Amino acid sequence: MEPPVKYVATVNDESRVVDVTGTDGRYRVAVGDDVWEVDARLAAQGIYSLLIDGVSYVADVTDRDGACVVEVGGEWYEITVEEQTRHIIRTRGGAAGGPRSRTLTAALPGKISRVAVGVGDAVRAGDTLVVIEAMKMENEFKATGPGTVAEVRVEAGQTVNAGDVLIVMA
Amino acid sequence: MKIKKLLVANRGEIAVRVLRACRELGIATVAVFSEADREALHVQMADEAYPIGPAPATESYLVVDRLVQTARRAGADAVHPGYGFLSENPSFAEACAAAGLTFVGPPAAAMRRMGSKTAARQLARELGVPMVPGALEAVASDVEAARVAREIGYPVMLKAAMGGGGKGMRLVSREDDLTEALRAARAEAGAAFGDAAVYLERAVAEPRHVEIQILADAHDNVIHLGERECSIQRRHQKLIEECPSPLVDASLRARMGEAACRLARAAGYVNAGTVEFLVDAERNFYFLEMNTRLQVEHPVTEMVTGVDLVHEQLRIAAGAKLALTQSDVTWRGWAIECRINAEDPFAGWLPSPGTLTGLRAPSGPWVRDDSGAYEGYTVPRWYDTLISKLIVWGADREAACDRMARALAEYRVVGVRTTIPVLARVVAHPDFRAGRLSTGFLERVLPALRANESRVLPIALIAAVLAEYERGRHEAAAPPADTAPSAWRAAGIRGWSRP
Repeated sequence: MEPPVKYVATVNDESRVVDVTGTDGRYRVAVGDDVWEVDARLAAQGIYSLLIDGVSYVADVTDRDGACVVEVGGEWYEITVEEQTRHIIRTRGGAAGGPRSRTLTAALPGKISRVAVGVGDAVRAGDTLVVIEAMKMENEFKATGPGTVAEVRVEAGQTVNAGDVLIVMA
Repeated sequence: MKIKKLLVANRGEIAVRVLRACRELGIATVAVFSEADREALHVQMADEAYPIGPAPATESYLVVDRLVQTARRAGADAVHPGYGFLSENPSFAEACAAAGLTFVGPPAAAMRRMGSKTAARQLARELGVPMVPGALEAVASDVEAARVAREIGYPVMLKAAMGGGGKGMRLVSREDDLTEALRAARAEAGAAFGDAAVYLERAVAEPRHVEIQILADAHDNVIHLGERECSIQRRHQKLIEECPSPLVDASLRARMGEAACRLARAAGYVNAGTVEFLVDAERNFYFLEMNTRLQVEHPVTEMVTGVDLVHEQLRIAAGAKLALTQSDVTWRGWAIECRINAEDPFAGWLPSPGTLTGLRAPSGPWVRDDSGAYEGYTVPRWYDTLISKLIVWGADREAACDRMARALAEYRVVGVRTTIPVLARVVAHPDFRAGRLSTGFLERVLPALRANESRVLPIALIAAVLAEYERGRHEAAAPPADTAPSAWRAAGIRGWSRP
């Protein structure tokens, strides 16, 4: 039997080591000290049928920005999965992710209908920064905390893609 | 007169709904599509389909001349507008009539009377139908809006004069927020309806939204098909609707139905229409507005009355008398509809356009899925977020709730975020089960609905890790780059093969 592949799965900022072996729909999965024999099939793209000790689960797995969203049994989780070696390299020295980012990025593609702030403006939590028109709705993006606007990278009328940086805070 | 060939001036699930009715009645069908909709389901389901312009609705689904020309070229003799887009635009009804096309909806004059919220409020006042205090005219300026708002008292509700579907609506609790709310409401109204006019009325506290379905023929017959309760809303857009309403008894139904028929008759209304009311905790009802078209939530009425509203619309448009009298209308059991939208309930209901890589709709006894999507379909970012309407029927409300819970658990959508998880939790909520509803219900309970009990966290971890594990194995065994997969299969090559 091949040695297990080791992963680190992170959900709600809590990481667990998960070992997997197996092939062709039959797997042995160890989450911490718990070991599970899993019969898993892809029933449709992203829809997984899992049989675990005779109990049938259907899990929907959607990739999203490097993480995945899993819906199962009426609950849903955002889970980041990476191989353990990669996780160790990335988090070596405890510098996980670096300092907290101070940028507002577009959460969805659309058209900027309004930029509510200018460079140098002081904003408070809840202040509207940018309004994006998408799918016929005006979607307001607000400041999550206090700060000063250092850069405004978009203007009204401009089309943006998801992930584009809109505003940088000092 | 008989309709032989009908153009559906719409897209998505409602276009599919109308196409189905036409096929059942032996009417040939013509679909139209924007550049973003070539692959849409309605295009595939119609007998004929023609392009009508670029993706933005203002350059396609809202271009009157192009729709009328397309209908004439295709040899259609009738046009069904669906809901939204041009469905409540009297100029479109007139343009159809001028081109010799039967418009499946009310006459333009009745639409002007009732479709303009402000004109409808004036008519309701003349008829003595109770109304929420507020303006009878659209506000011309921010200054005037501030004056009117002070007069009727905060909180006030801003509404698009030509609107519907919650677009262009804003609740304003204080004067400081009025200017921004006016700007946003006007922008939404302008984009959605081609008319940025908004008016104000007082916001009723903890109101319930109850509406009456009416049918009117061109021979002075007007009947109502009872009420629908649509109090579960987000961003002023309905999310769950039911028929009947847990609040409404036979006496209230009769009074609201009579008021709705009186309004429709006074307006010279013909075809299917809906009169919306707010109902307060003391069961007082207030006229809100009339929707001069088929409603999104019409199926719940169909399930309980057994009347096919689109069939009736087509019969009425063809000049037939109503097949039913008021005493023929009966209500049996309970129906609930849930709107499956491509949006993220826990990220401010942000739209979540994208490809439905996996899709499995529920079925089984008394379950109806009115969908405009299919597996592999990409939800365009240009239009509203509705993917599908899930409707169930049960012998009583409890049975309908249980059946909805079952059907939602069966519904699988992969690739975009949807309203399904939050719908499932609302349907399980004790207040919903008890029929304690209000238009503020969803926003009040939403934060609590978010909490996972983590019952199945290990299962979710296993699924996530196995997906990554199989991806890694597949990439390790990937074929050389020169054997590129066919575009047909590009979406389906990762992971396990299907059993």
